This record gives sequence, C-alpha cells and structure tokens, in this order.
Amino acid sequence: MSSTNAKGTLSVAERLGTVNFRNQGRSESKPHIVVDTEICNSTCTHKCTTRVCPAKCYTLDDAGLVHFQYEDCIECGTCMYACDQGAVSWNFPHPEEGKGVNWTLG
Amino acid sequence: MEDKFDVIIVGGGIAGLSAAMTLARGNAKFLLIERGEFCGAKNVSGGVLWGNDLAKLVPKYWKEEGGYERFVNHRRLTFMDDQSAFSVDFKSAHFDAPPYTGVTVLRSVFDAWLAGKVQEAIESSEHPDESFLATDILVEEVLQENGKVIGIRAGEERFYADCVILAEGVNNLLTRQIGLEKAYVPVDHMAIGVKEVLKLDASRLQDRFQLTGRSGLTNEFVGACSEGVEGGGFLYTNSDSISLGLVLGLKDLKEKEKTPYDVLNTFKQHPAVAAMIHGAETVEYSAHAVSTGDIKALPSELYKDGVLIAGEAAHLLLNAGKAIQGMDFAMRSGILAAETAIEGKKAGDFSSSMLKNYRTALENSYVLKDMRSFQDAVHLLHQQEMFSAIPNMICDFGRQFFTISGEPTPKASKMMQASIKRHSSYWDLVKLGLKGAKSL
Repeated sequence: MSSTNAKGTLSVAERLGTVNFRNQGRSESKPHIVVDTEICNSTCTHKCTTRVCPAKCYTLDDAGLVHFQYEDCIECGTCMYACDQGAVSWNFPHPEEGKGVNWTLG
Repeated sequence: MEDKFDVIIVGGGIAGLSAAMTLARGNAKFLLIERGEFCGAKNVSGGVLWGNDLAKLVPKYWKEEGGYERFVNHRRLTFMDDQSAFSVDFKSAHFDAPPYTGVTVLRSVFDAWLAGKVQEAIESSEHPDESFLATDILVEEVLQENGKVIGIRAGEERFYADCVILAEGVNNLLTRQIGLEKAYVPVDHMAIGVKEVLKLDASRLQDRFQLTGRSGLTNEFVGACSEGVEGGGFLYTNSDSISLGLVLGLKDLKEKEKTPYDVLNTFKQHPAVAAMIHGAETVEYSAHAVSTGDIKALPSELYKDGVLIAGEAAHLLLNAGKAIQGMDFAMRSGILAAETAIEGKKAGDFSSSMLKNYRTALENSYVLKDMRSFQDAVHLLHQQEMFSAIPNMICDFGRQFFTISGEPTPKASKMMQASIKRHSSYWDLVKLGLKGAKSL
C-alpha cells in the first residue's frame, strides 16, 4: 500500500511500489525490451519515451542522454508505439527467465 | 497434450476465455495458452464490462459472489475546468435488475474467475481430459505451412491445431508476425491508459457514492482532468475500492510533451475528484496501451487460413462518448471466433473461405456495426475543443448560472453568450454542433 500525501499525489517510485513483479528474487534476468539508445542519443529529436513511459523506464541524464532499464517495465506497450525511430525492440518477458508484471487487481 | 487440437487459443483474457467457454460447450478439443502466472495476471482495463454477453457465458453470474465488482445503475459524465465540475448524471432503478447493462471489474480478479468457469465447462464437456488451460507459457511463434497457420511454438515445444485463435491483446506481436498487422504500429490510433486502484472499505464507499448492496457508479471526465491532452478520465466503483484513471491519446501526449503520471496527479488533485478519493489508499498502479477505436486501426484482415483474430488484438474498441467499450467487444468476438471454428470442425474446413464467416458474423453484430456507425463521434471526440474549450465553457456557464451574488441576475442566455465568447465562438460551436448531431 502506498499512503497518499496531503495533496493526494504520488511519485512514480511510490506507484511502482504498489506493483507486483515476477521473478524478483532472480539475480539475473533476460531483458524483454532492448533499446538501441545510440539511436535515441544521435538522430532522435524528441526522445519521447522519456516522457510517455508510465514507469519511467526511459530516463534522461544531466547531459541529456537517454538511458533505459527494463526492470520496472509494466508491459504496457506504450514505447513500442511512441518510438518512431526504430530504437525499441519490444517483446513479452519470458515467464521464467524474464521480469514483468504480475497484477493483483489489474 | 501430444495430439493435435481442434483449436489453440493464444491469450487468457476476455476474448480468449470467451472463445474457450464457447468451444468447451461445443465439445471441441482446445488448448488455451496464457503467458501470465494465471489468467488475468497480465491484464489491465479501466474497467467496465458492458452488455449482456456475460450472462450467456455464465448464466446467472449475478448470483455469484466472485467475478464482477459492482453492477452499474448510476452513470455520470463530468465536464471539468481546473476548479469546477459540471455533470450530466443519470441513475435509474431500471438498471437494478439482472441481466445488468454493465458491471465493473478488476481484470486479475475477473479473468481468473472466468477461467475457473471455463475449467468447469471443460470438465463437464465430452472431452474433459483433452482440453486445457495452460498458464505461464509464452507463445513465441505462429507456425505456418504453405501460408496456412498450423500451430504455435513456445520455447522448444510445438503444438498443432486445425485453427488458432489469436486473442493476445492490443500488443499483438503474433498478429504482426503472420502479416495481418504491420510490424510497426504508429501512435496515431493509440492511447495510453493509466490507473490507480484506491482502497476504501465497502461501508465508506457505499456512503460516499450512495451505493446500495452491489450497485455501482461510473463517472467519466473530460476537460481539465487531462491537462488539455486528448482523452479523459474515469472513476469506477468496485466492491471495496475505486478505479481512477485516464485514457490519453498517445499522439497528443507526445506532441504536448506531457507525462501520464503527472497528468494523473493533476486529475487526483482536482477538487471534485480529491473529495471522492479522500482517505482512500492506492493499492495498485497500472498502465496499458489501448486502441482509440478508429476503424482504420483494424488489422488488414481478421482471419486467414487456419487463424482468427479476436478482441483487442483486432483493435475492436469503441469510445463514442457514451461508454468505453472494449471488453464486451472482446467477449462477443471471442464467442464468434469460436463459433466459426466449431462450424469449421463440422465441415472439416479451416480455410480462409470458411473462416471468413467470422468476419461476416462480426460485421453483422453490434461490434462492427457500432464501430462503423459511430466513427464520426470517435473523430469528434478527438477534436481539441472537446477537452479544453467546451468543458471550460460549460463550467464557466455553470459558475455564472449557479451564482447568487446579490446583484441583478442576467438571463441564462446572456450568461451563455458570455461563456461562449470567453472560451469559443458561435461559429466553432455551430460547426461542432452539426458534427455532434450527425455523430450520435
């Protein structure tokens, strides 16, 4: 549970704290999404995945470079549509070797 | 599980489970494969399941404790500016008796329950040991031979069937693999749904929303809730929680450089919404891509030799302003796909000329009929005025109309003129009005 502050807002980290992920205990897992950040950081002008991803899997560092991690991915699919640069190779996580969500309520 | 199946279903969501139920009743041998730990583990919806098909799949489902959350007898559409909320509200005892016009659901609960019902149907069918619901398996490939679909591959294992029903959901990778959808689907007809489920114990929930027994409220929002981004908000009452979320057009979200989680915070802080969720605790955050309901987003075809596409994998969805219909379309399309497969089995024919009957059945059903007849409404709802100027104008009028200031009160028509001037123009309204009249 995540208790809401006085304003009722929550950060993405607090929100993700409410999500159940699979294979949390695994030290190594197989990424289900591979992002060619070379493309994000060279030819892409909008870097939109850093905004549209609801789990903040895509982040910008201080130098304005895009970084990606798949561990917080909730498999929504948004980046697969939003990226029009061909940088995102999207797949479903493998049930045993991957991460991915395990919704309690859905 | 060595033998060839009559049908393999990929995906244990509503479309897949509805197909499975229909096949079990039709005594077909099938294998349903779900990648989640259980049916529902990967599924997210707003979610209201509209219509009556559930009663066909699970007769007298309303007598069950499990499954759905609440039946809908109270509908509300709210126009918002940043301070106000102007609602159209309809509550009717006509909606109190089953079969209900709609029920709220939480997918991980509902789908798991429906899967249990399918399992019961398998056990009382003619082939209790030859049909299976298999979870935790990811289908990686659709197997084809001479252009005909013959089965699927999951890891090293291959399973064969006369017919495959793809009910894999909106992120339809397998539909793309067999060429019925382009490999890259752009943002144009896509949206993102973000949601929080907020826990509030049943007695407080019932008092707050004036619910009795298992009755429920659905509230859609348009205007300031989306910070001017194309789309809108929703609030649905569950048994002891509230589903609160937004559906945001992905193209517009991208262009306006907003983030879905910040817009959700804005929505939660609106005074009208804050009062409804006060004291409720967020127990699950979720998000999912969703089609916008544009008929142009349909795959190039919904069948080919040996395969049928059902549910949101086929982008069957409609939001014409009255309700967001996706799960009921999934249910009907799953049923129709299974019925076509049963016909195919009887005729010993699973060629595209036989499976075309599925397309015909969908075209003759309310699914594609409504999608076609309400396309104007879909397009109207995507006009920028609908999520800024119009809600602002309506709330501006509301504020004037409901203000008693101790000064002489102008006539409502004067107030309306002032509101229109501030937020729009007569000409724009006439244009929108004409479109609106035509679309609904």
